[in-house]
Amino acid sequence: MTDSLLEVRDLQKYYFERDTFVDSLLGRERRSVKAVDGISFDIQPGETLGLVGESGCGKSTTGETLLRLREATGGSVRFDGENVFEMDSDELKAFRKDAQIVFQDPFSSLDPRMTIGDIIAEPLKIHGIPEGAGDQSKREWRRDKAGELLERVGLSANQLDRYPHEFSGGQRQRIGIARALALEPDFIVLDEPVSALDVSVQAQVLNLLDDLQDDFGLTYLFIAHDLSVVRHICDRVAVMYLGNIVELGPTDELFESPKHPYTQALLESVPRPSTAEHGRRVEALSGDVPSPRNPPSGCRFRTRCPKVIPPDDLNIDQATYRAVMDLRDALVVGDVNPDHIWEAADPERVDEEAFIEEARSRHVAAELRGEVAGAVDTALGHLAEGDEERARETLRRRFESPCETRRPAVGDAPHPAACHLFEGSDEVTVIETNESAAIEADD
Amino acid sequence: MADPILKVRDLTTRFFTEEGQVNAVEHVSFDVEDGEIFGIVGESGSGKSVTALSVIDLIESPGRVTDGEIWYRNETLADEFRGSTPDAVDGDFVDVRRLPKGVRRSLRGPSFSMVFQDPMSSFNPSLTVGEQIAEAVEVQRRARSNPRSTRSRTQGYGLGKLVADTLLPSQRYVSDESMDRAVELLDQVGIPDPEDRAEEYPHQFSGGMLQRAMIAQALAGEPDILVADEPTTALDVTIQAQILNLLRDLQEHEGMSILMITHDLGVIARMCDRVGVMYAGEIVERGPLSDIFDNPVHPYTQGLLGSIPDVDDPSTRLEPISGNVPSLIDSEMPNACYFADRCPNAMNDCLTRIPEYELDGRHSVRCVLAEREYDPNDAIDTEVYADD
Ligand SMILES: Nc1ncnc2c1ncn2[C@@H]1O[C@H](COP(=O)(O)OP(=O)(O)O)[C@@H](O)[C@H]1O
Ligand code: SF4
Ligand code: SF4
Ligand SMILES: [Mg+2]
Repeated sequence: MTDSLLEVRDLQKYYFERDTFVDSLLGRERRSVKAVDGISFDIQPGETLGLVGESGCGKSTTGETLLRLREATGGSVRFDGENVFEMDSDELKAFRKDAQIVFQDPFSSLDPRMTIGDIIAEPLKIHGIPEGAGDQSKREWRRDKAGELLERVGLSANQLDRYPHEFSGGQRQRIGIARALALEPDFIVLDEPVSALDVSVQAQVLNLLDDLQDDFGLTYLFIAHDLSVVRHICDRVAVMYLGNIVELGPTDELFESPKHPYTQALLESVPRPSTAEHGRRVEALSGDVPSPRNPPSGCRFRTRCPKVIPPDDLNIDQATYRAVMDLRDALVVGDVNPDHIWEAADPERVDEEAFIEEARSRHVAAELRGEVAGAVDTALGHLAEGDEERARETLRRRFESPCETRRPAVGDAPHPAACHLFEGSDEVTVIETNESAAIEADD
Repeated sequence: MADPILKVRDLTTRFFTEEGQVNAVEHVSFDVEDGEIFGIVGESGSGKSVTALSVIDLIESPGRVTDGEIWYRNETLADEFRGSTPDAVDGDFVDVRRLPKGVRRSLRGPSFSMVFQDPMSSFNPSLTVGEQIAEAVEVQRRARSNPRSTRSRTQGYGLGKLVADTLLPSQRYVSDESMDRAVELLDQVGIPDPEDRAEEYPHQFSGGMLQRAMIAQALAGEPDILVADEPTTALDVTIQAQILNLLRDLQEHEGMSILMITHDLGVIARMCDRVGVMYAGEIVERGPLSDIFDNPVHPYTQGLLGSIPDVDDPSTRLEPISGNVPSLIDSEMPNACYFADRCPNAMNDCLTRIPEYELDGRHSVRCVLAEREYDPNDAIDTEVYADD
């Protein structure tokens, strides 16, 4: 698409830990945190693209990296056709005028020692606006402009000489928005702009953002964790999980027929403010989001996915398969301790049957039968003998999912989902070298 | 219906600060029925947390519960104090506020227990999670044998009183028995491999796991009433779903009553049987879930419901309440309905303090619209804020 205002391609941002000189002296290996791991999307002029996901999935890093407030470790960003990462300082200055950001926290994002008039006028000053004219008249011009902006965001121009602490959270967020508008940008990254606000005030600010977009023809990247807010303000939505975009589509379509199992789980989890919600029991996803220091191989979501795909030749119902995969993950992350199982089953450590039974009751949340039971019991037998490695390997050989060996990619479809269940002809699959076995082995 | 387990009447709590007297909670009344989840919803600063802390007697200087009664149903206590303190007893109920301080403190654990929003600041970072839960168990054990003298190294936590830790003896006094019970509790709240996790420190837990651990700690005393103040606000939505399921299971299987404080009307809808809506320190409307959500009478309740975006609703415009959350400084509070300056229905009748009107036995509201229709001829010009 040539008419995009913003084109993000394979954007990657790794942070590195243990990266200091001292760390190298101590022989500590540098460790990467894969905050954003190859994401692509476009934003059309005048559009609002939502970026949703749970904390730590890489939303803010995406926003800051594409504005070049952080240095990307890979990929490219084009703004109005220009490659942002290759801009020289003049070009960058112009870009910084056109692209702004509003942060979540209305308390820490405004300098407490500056009047709000100065806060709003500061970007103008930095960019030498207005040009020409004497210092005195420049200052007056900026003050007038700040007053106008303040009125535009619903505050009063006679509040210009007040300080941030004299305002409520919602009012401060309006001030942050006024400042972002000062340079008449085309594009604003809104990073959780209403998350810190109470609902009654949140609604005011959302309506304000909507009005400003219409009046100034703004384009937004709207970052949020609250799906309800996203539904109301966005034209299209990208869902992130552990540094990846897992689904991207037009808002109503994505909310009404979510494809990716993660999107489905997110939507299922949201508590609805209506009486029909009463007593609704959500099939909650199991476990926590894994660490971006050591993300799962293949599909990042496979450690929690209720639809994780069993191997072709295995006859197993989905819930049982999930339970077996949970056992495998528990073995990988070290949540299975054979000593405790022996303790409870048979402190003399002879009765392997008892061990297996206890291990199953603790770590496998399903009834096992037939071949599945056989394979699991064999693995648990190895565990009883103290050979955890072999237990893991036995399970891997029989239960390995395509979801752990192959990384699903977001394709070019109008509403793509990065999931093997949606692999159509137009969706690419990256075959990964099998790092899963390696990771499991050295854990 | 059985008697409620808790009857709060006219609870009033104030903070006496340098900026002036803060009327954080004003004449708040509600019941918690046996085995129900009663919800209190409101925006920040409306007095939800202070209400919760007042109920479990954790208000500290410069704050004080200045008025009201907290009737707690407990036959044993009622019998114990009927002779010595007859004012504090009514049938099977005791007014917690009139019991001696030592007795009040001993109720924390076996009668009332609390779960806070931020699990990280509720645990002592230098003790293992297991030790801290075991201590709670130990405290309960001791309380049972000697009900009036208990002190724990972890007691200050949850209110951020990290200092308390340094003042108290640091010797370990957790028995194996209590430790076993702690592991059991961790297992009960769904923590995998609880034996090992018990040995870990709070920073080794994820937010969701630590919230489970805090619930385990709150369960140590087998409380009648669990007070949960924004227990899922700091959590992601998929983890929130896990914790809400857990609280629901505990309420159903342990027969516990829960006082649930939240700003999230969705959480209220999923979890609560009845609900009180707080605004500016008052409960402005109270009733069964369906009355509040489907037939709200108070303009604030209506406004609150109108301003939340609904994940199932494709429309883009919201209907916000104009203006801002009010100040609770006594000298700045009007002698009028506290919502009058934001209320689209404000009338001359509203320029006086508004009593609580009963609509029927279960639904009550603090608004003149309970008794009369809105009349535009009677409208007052409310202070217009620069919103929309
Ligand atoms: N320790 C304190 N000192 C002074 N004022 C307090 C203190 N704690 C709470 N308050 C005030 O009491 C009011 C109600 O607060 P709170 O119960 O925390 O509201 P909520 O939980 O509904 O957000 C607020 O105005 C708050 O500033
Ligand atoms: S690729 Fe597999 S694990 Fe990932 S979302 Fe799809 S089914 Fe689930
Ligand atoms: S009492 Fe009057 S001002 Fe207050 S909420 Fe009711 S109608 Fe509005
Ligand atoms: Mg609170």
